[in-house]
Amino acid sequence: MAEELRKSFHEELDQMRAKVVKMSAFVGEAIPRVTDAFLQNDFETTQAIIEGDDVLNAWSVDLDTHCSLLLALQQPMAGDLRSILAVLSINSELERTGDIVCNIARTSQRIYGSTIEPGLRGFITKMSDEALLLIRLATDSFVEQDGSLALSLHDIDDRLDDLNREFFRAILESHTQGNLDFEVAINLALTARHYERIGDHAVNIGERVRYMLDGWTKEQIDASRETGPETSGGTGEARTGDAAE
Amino acid sequence: MNSPNSNSFVFRAQDLNVYYGEYHALRDVSLDIEPHQITAFIGPSGCGKTTLLRCFNRMNDLIPTARVTGSIEYLGVNLYDPGVDAVEVRRRIGMVFQKPNPFPKSIYDNVAYGPRITGMARRKAALDEIVETSLRKAALFDEVKDRLKNSAMGLSGGQQQRLCIARAIAVNPDVLLMDEPCSSLDPIATTRIEELMNELKDDYTIVIVTHNMQQAARISNKTAFFSVDVDIETDTRTGTLIEFGVTEEIFSTPKDSRTENYVTGRFG
Repeated sequence: MAEELRKSFHEELDQMRAKVVKMSAFVGEAIPRVTDAFLQNDFETTQAIIEGDDVLNAWSVDLDTHCSLLLALQQPMAGDLRSILAVLSINSELERTGDIVCNIARTSQRIYGSTIEPGLRGFITKMSDEALLLIRLATDSFVEQDGSLALSLHDIDDRLDDLNREFFRAILESHTQGNLDFEVAINLALTARHYERIGDHAVNIGERVRYMLDGWTKEQIDASRETGPETSGGTGEARTGDAAE
Repeated sequence: MNSPNSNSFVFRAQDLNVYYGEYHALRDVSLDIEPHQITAFIGPSGCGKTTLLRCFNRMNDLIPTARVTGSIEYLGVNLYDPGVDAVEVRRRIGMVFQKPNPFPKSIYDNVAYGPRITGMARRKAALDEIVETSLRKAALFDEVKDRLKNSAMGLSGGQQQRLCIARAIAVNPDVLLMDEPCSSLDPIATTRIEELMNELKDDYTIVIVTHNMQQAARISNKTAFFSVDVDIETDTRTGTLIEFGVTEEIFSTPKDSRTENYVTGRFG
């Protein structure tokens, strides 16, 4: 019968995982909040969201330190090692997602007071819902250790990519018809891009969950893409360009 | 026998079973040991890893009740063929034990012992050279060069163990078998032996049994994980090979859940 030999170490790993869930919950609450503030021209809330990002950043530093100490002191092996390495990456993905939420808040502040027509507002709501769903499912796949769910994030993200393209076309059309100021149009397109990036980060989290579970790496999908048709796009782009504007 | 490099493997064990009287110590082991690599055997007590190591130079012959079935080839020759000389086997396949066991003789005589009895060096100058070369290879020469005639028993534990390695390589073996060679040493002496093993693998094939998983992870190219099957009805325990592979994989993405449980400490 299996006997737990490294009980205190494995409790530490549980605490490390709990920190990921806490960060994810924070980000998950911030996404609809920033969307509401954006749509309701709520400057005060957007400012609170930007300032609140310090909390997420501090948690991220704490989790980073926690992982480093476990690596340095516990000589983790196999699944334990992969868990810590995965959490290091997921930590970074969530911290960047927090930055993106701040970027949406800043975009909202730049076009504060502008009127956005209902059709375009609908796109923002839909993209926000999809982005939130992706972050929640990515977190579920981490908590439940569900490799199939992690894998499905790719396909769900395709919907967000489609929405991004449709929204962009709608912005262009509205601007061409003279219904949308140029500066507002640019900032709406940026906002769309921010939500789309949140989806990319969720997909990246799913990939790290798959690595955590069985050692799967991105090279495997890259290798299969060379021989097979393109199945989805954009997941690699989230690595760059998310820094605060 | 062939030269060490003419095969892709030094040892090939196939369907190996070892019994001590009625006790079935090791069941159905098949694995290849590749040349100029460090292969580590890990696993809980009683899993048969030392038993297998002792099969590689026929040390089990010295136990009257021991019985071996299946085969072990050494450079393509069946080690257990009646025509094979066990003494020559042990010259080609040296062994270093858990506890340093120098002879109660001088440092020089410890290293010269093997070359003398095998007639490798008849003249003193030739013997001196073998002793110096062996001590240098064992990274001990500089520490003892001024007191070669002193008793080996005056050396520290780590130095004694390196002397035992020098003694083993003085007879020019192909293989070094090491049975927990660092278990009685402090961390600094352990690091010295580990560094030494890394240098020695250019000249020798090394197989090490270790209880220290981190040591196996640090030094070995391939790792074999053994476990114990317990038959509750008959209350007997038999060692089995669970997984054998590249060390990086065994400690990062093992294929068998039993290996995963062992290396992550979820199994006692």
